[in-house]
Amino acid sequence: MSGAGGAYRLCMATSKTQSDHDAILKTLQLYIDGCKQGNSELMRPAFHPQGSFFGYAGDQLAIGLEFLFDWIERNGPAPDIESRVVSVDIADSIAVVRLEVVNWSGKLAGSGVRMSDLFTFLRMPDSWKIIQKAFHWHS
Amino acid sequence: MPEQNKPQKTLESWKQIAGYLDRSERTVRRWEVSEGLPVHRRGHQKYDTVFAYRHEIEAWTRRRTRFGSQDATVAGPQGYEPSLSEVPANRYLVEHDAITRTMDRYVAGARAGDGDLMRPAFHREATMSGYCQGIEYSGSIEHVFAWVTANGPAPKIEPRFARIEIIETIAVVHLEVRGWSGKLAGVNSRASDVFTLLKLDSEWKITHKLFHWHSD
Repeated sequence: MSGAGGAYRLCMATSKTQSDHDAILKTLQLYIDGCKQGNSELMRPAFHPQGSFFGYAGDQLAIGLEFLFDWIERNGPAPDIESRVVSVDIADSIAVVRLEVVNWSGKLAGSGVRMSDLFTFLRMPDSWKIIQKAFHWHS
Repeated sequence: MPEQNKPQKTLESWKQIAGYLDRSERTVRRWEVSEGLPVHRRGHQKYDTVFAYRHEIEAWTRRRTRFGSQDATVAGPQGYEPSLSEVPANRYLVEHDAITRTMDRYVAGARAGDGDLMRPAFHREATMSGYCQGIEYSGSIEHVFAWVTANGPAPKIEPRFARIEIIETIAVVHLEVRGWSGKLAGVNSRASDVFTLLKLDSEWKITHKLFHWHSD
């Protein structure tokens, strides 16, 4: 992490940034709950209406939130996934979250799969929304 | 190698790239995949319509001999022929340099006030979002190209990479830009940008630009 990352950590001492931090993780939890239960309806509210989704699923380039929602439904429950928030960087109205997830399972995921996610967030009047999810599936 | 007698900025085919490096086409194609040889494609992913910038090939050669191979003492392209199992000693730097090359195109377009100049840095389905003067703008990346062109030149922008994080095929770049100017940007404005990138073939493309204009 660079010096700028350190600056963010200093900012996080302020209560405003603290509440932003909590609000971001609250939104992220909707995504994680949707993954665990194989229910895309749970995670839809976490995303901005113009949110996007990019990454490689095997050799195939997957683009678009509908791809994600469809995949989650077809994959079904993944009750054993363990997620860790590696970093939350906030700069005013925008934020980046890195999430590491292990033990993905399900009809499409297989078992014991590891995924790295980079989420970008935009602050909206009432909550923070995911504007993009980029992922890397570790083979 | 006629290229040596006829200086040109680009190498226009696998054959020319191979000739320039004095290796077979098969070898340089492999280097693109295994070692990040900077090869570009015209149009969208027409796989065999390639070109390369000579200065990028030269920089790659320098990096490769510095970080890369057993024959690190040999400068220039003449001295090595890698084994099939050879991997670069520092993959992170190879990707880091490829990402900053993509970001440099964005900065060049912003500085020149030319949206078309930055277009190759972006994925065709890229989007943007963020706030400017309290109003949210979210949608196609075309809005950014149009804005940059309408803004005109911003010769004094000072971009700084606050952070580059790479996870295999995805990356996030936090760019802090001071000294924005132009018809729309005003005078000496400051912006924070977060770009998400995706690795496609040998090139990184921006898939999203997230921005915050500071009002201070």
